[in-house]
Amino acid sequence: MTRIALRAAAASVLLAGLALGGPRTAAAATHTVTIDAMAYAPATLRVKRGDTVVWVNKDPFPHTATAADRSFDSREIAPGKRWSHVARTAGTHPYVCTLHPTMKATLVVE
Amino acid sequence: MNTVRCITATLFAIATGTVYAQAGAPNDAQIAAIVVAANQVDIDAGKLAESKAKSAEVKEFARRMVTDHTGVNKQATALVTKLHVKPEENATSESLKKSGADTRKRLEGLKAAEFDRAYVDNEVTYHQTVLDAVDKTLIPNAKNEELKALLIKVRPAFVAHLDHAKHIQASLKK
Repeated sequence: MTRIALRAAAASVLLAGLALGGPRTAAAATHTVTIDAMAYAPATLRVKRGDTVVWVNKDPFPHTATAADRSFDSREIAPGKRWSHVARTAGTHPYVCTLHPTMKATLVVE
Repeated sequence: MNTVRCITATLFAIATGTVYAQAGAPNDAQIAAIVVAANQVDIDAGKLAESKAKSAEVKEFARRMVTDHTGVNKQATALVTKLHVKPEENATSESLKKSGADTRKRLEGLKAAEFDRAYVDNEVTYHQTVLDAVDKTLIPNAKNEELKALLIKVRPAFVAHLDHAKHIQASLKK
């Protein structure tokens, strides 16, 4: 490959990267939801598509974060453990702990 | 029926604090023993229900009680070990254990749907009573801040379990 071809390839990769980045101005962020004393905090979390959400279980027993629309499901998060999820599905997603049906919260993906 | 009355009387005594009328307010070592006994009684009832319950919902609830109360007891034991507090048995912890054993004996004699209803009814009463005791006796009397904080932290678990048990109780009546 010639130097020019290489440069063209590099430029197109760069352009493709910009195009994929689209309207997003900042890099994907990471948000934390703390599960403590039978509650999710914050109860409503707003994120951008592509952001990562980490649920941290601070209770001495397992919990789950399970979307009603099943767009995500942590399964059991053991005491002291965490579960990461990249939010790819835009919309308002109410979720519950399947082990403790009284625990409810919402993830909003914009 | 006598057993039920006896348990109810014991639980009522704990909730209202009349047990302490003679003995005075519990100290931290006694509170620790009460917490451990209260959780253990529900773990034992849950283990029985895991094997005896007919309904899948009741079985799953029982499994949850065993897991959650075991977790709470582990945390309570870790804390009292760290604080060098040796749980001290007292009238309340002993009567919790005795009424727990009586309940198990009564439940062992029941089968299928009858067992499910009796177990869930007992769970509703039990969590309500323990919650009252936590609010009226254990939290107000806990001296050590970490012990008090632990009681405050696990309180919502009792609330959630109570709501869950009430929900199942209503669905079993349908």
